Amino acid sequence: MKKTFRRSGNSGALAWFFHRLTAIYLAVVLLIHFAVMHFIGDGTLTYDKVAARLVSPGWKILDILFLYTGLYHGLYGLWNLLEDYIHNAFWRAFIYFILAFGGFALVTLGTITIVNFRG
Amino acid sequence: MKKTLEIFRYNPEKDEKPYFKTYEVEVYEGMTLLDALNHIRWEQDGTLTYRRSCRSAICGSCAMKINGKTYLACKTQMMDIKSDHVKVEPLPGYEVIKDLVVDMDNFFDKLKRVKPYHITHTPPPEKERLQSPEDFHYINEAADCILCGACVSACPSAWADKEYLGPAALLKAYKFCADTRDEGADERLAIVNDRNGVWRCHYTANCMDACPKDIKITDFIARLRNMLVQDKL
Repeated sequence: MKKTFRRSGNSGALAWFFHRLTAIYLAVVLLIHFAVMHFIGDGTLTYDKVAARLVSPGWKILDILFLYTGLYHGLYGLWNLLEDYIHNAFWRAFIYFILAFGGFALVTLGTITIVNFRG
Repeated sequence: MKKTLEIFRYNPEKDEKPYFKTYEVEVYEGMTLLDALNHIRWEQDGTLTYRRSCRSAICGSCAMKINGKTYLACKTQMMDIKSDHVKVEPLPGYEVIKDLVVDMDNFFDKLKRVKPYHITHTPPPEKERLQSPEDFHYINEAADCILCGACVSACPSAWADKEYLGPAALLKAYKFCADTRDEGADERLAIVNDRNGVWRCHYTANCMDACPKDIKITDFIARLRNMLVQDKL
């Protein structure tokens, strides 16, 4: 008989769970990345080849998701490590703001770049 | 056959700083490190201080660092230590009270925080609250913890963040949350669901390496996290 539970208050559970989900996506996309970049075709990398891929809607969606998941995964991990060492509430809030703002800025810049890329 | 024991010594009332003192002990088949320490204390130097009790690896008193790794002194056979030179130090990560004795107050305070006892709300049955062997399977390994403190002393997150509950308290929380006789999982999960609770563990797995009972502590912390995620989904 497995036990079930009721509410447990405000939680880091979903943030952690999403960190795990993004890890799966990143692992799959990295495999695709290595296959496409290094093993499929003649193996030479040129701007034209990369640009040709990035104009297709499928690659745009894949890369935008890559950007979002990569940033979330990395920043969540970094925040978790920093939390070990930053015990002052003010500095914790300050660093959190820097990471959140930096993440938001990179997401915005990356999304604009990928969406508007015409080759 | 003789072995040299280099033992950490520190008496805060007398010594300015810690130092190592060397002793020679004649070892024999079946002699444990605790026997060797007893020999030193009884025959060579009565000031050597360390904790000991059961001599059976169940009380958790004699955990210490032996040649760089954490073991129970009573479970460590002198003949099994390959080197003739044995360096003995107190558990790292704790304040030293004297020689090999460390201050475990913080460890037990954190343990108390997760309510390490059965909480029930339903009226008690006529006899005891029974548990099937299948249900015991969920807590069997976690119940083996002897509270020696080796896991906490090996945990980098616990070194960095003194407020972190630590692997032993989280393991105990899991043990009771998964126990089908217990009805206090909600309040216990609310306690570990904190920035200083279950989310501080980074799966370094040093705790598993240090555990003298070979408990897969990190796995149980992961199960505790799964309970919280399932609660949210």
